[in-house]
Amino acid sequence: MPQLEQVEFFISQLFWLGVFFVILFLVLTYLTLPKIRAFLNKREEFVQSHISKQDELIKKAEQLLENYEAKLNEAKNQANKIVNEAKESAMVESEKLVRATEEKIQNEIKQTEERVSQEKNLALSELNSQLKESASNFISKITNFDKDNIKI
Amino acid sequence: MAKGESPLKQFEVQPIIDINLFGFDVSFTNSALWMTITTLFIIGFFTLPFLKSSKTNSIEDLYPSRLQVASELGFNFINSLINDTIGKEGKKYFPLVFALFMFILFGNLFGMIPYSFTFTSHIIVTLALALGVFIFVTVLGFIKHGIKFFGFFVIPGLPIYMLPLLIPIEVISYLSRPISLSVRLFANMLAGHTLLKVFAGFVSALGFFGILPLVFIIALTGLEILIAFLQAYVFAILTCLYINDALHLH
Repeated sequence: MPQLEQVEFFISQLFWLGVFFVILFLVLTYLTLPKIRAFLNKREEFVQSHISKQDELIKKAEQLLENYEAKLNEAKNQANKIVNEAKESAMVESEKLVRATEEKIQNEIKQTEERVSQEKNLALSELNSQLKESASNFISKITNFDKDNIKI
Repeated sequence: MAKGESPLKQFEVQPIIDINLFGFDVSFTNSALWMTITTLFIIGFFTLPFLKSSKTNSIEDLYPSRLQVASELGFNFINSLINDTIGKEGKKYFPLVFALFMFILFGNLFGMIPYSFTFTSHIIVTLALALGVFIFVTVLGFIKHGIKFFGFFVIPGLPIYMLPLLIPIEVISYLSRPISLSVRLFANMLAGHTLLKVFAGFVSALGFFGILPLVFIIALTGLEILIAFLQAYVFAILTCLYINDALHLH
């Protein structure tokens, strides 16, 4: 096995292993790894700052939504109020109209009734006088009395 | 692979440039070459996507490119691994675990390239890495807890008469950590690559029917890539657990 037979190269292998491993270690320690770490930290910071910015924006958006909803509710309430008021006033108005119409109709009925009763009375009194006349005519014819002298 | 060559030939270290330093032979070998490639690749892969200058804070600059997403994936993987095993204190040890994981992972993965060299299949390399982790963890334990670190070998809530038996067991299991850590990685790499080479030898030996071992090799390559990830992961997570042990004892 060359690994155990080539003893003459042991020192050479150890020497170059030491040289290159130390070079690798030093370059990684003082150049490469700090560079990588700095870069990763920078990116992490960038991402974090954007995340916090995003949180702020979300909060703002939520506030805006709240405001919007509050305003919407207010407007709805106002609209309801207006509608209710309009309804009430319309009811009052219509009631008034109905009452006025009813009164008018009542008046007309009363007037008509009065006229009818007047005409009835007139007709009755006419009928009465006619009856009286015809009765006096009848009696005068029977009794030969002057009809003007007959009193019924 | 030529006929008659051993399947272990792929593990041979070959010097590319002969270097002699203070009397020691530190030749630049194919092993060192692949360590170079691995190191440069890791540095490039994880650094280049983040080099773009982004002074402004616009979203285009923070939007990752495709390569960057891949790098971030590796970064976040080790990050969550450390968070899960060590917790918040683990941040200090992030570069170590990251370097270990990536070095082993890409060492394993580049080893899967034909004609390349897998330096993680060499016990001396894995043992050096594991011993490094072991020594680091032990020193860390003594720095954090001083002499109390020896309390690590005493399992709380155990009757006293059991201690003479269990303390040696604990000490041995502690000392065998670097061995198990290094041999696990080394043996996995060695076995996988040897198996691939053995079946590759069958492909040429069987002629037309060589298609069967070829299909097997393709499946095995997929498995080896999985093992490359798995062993790097095991090495990293065990390192994390050892660090956690040293920080919190029991």
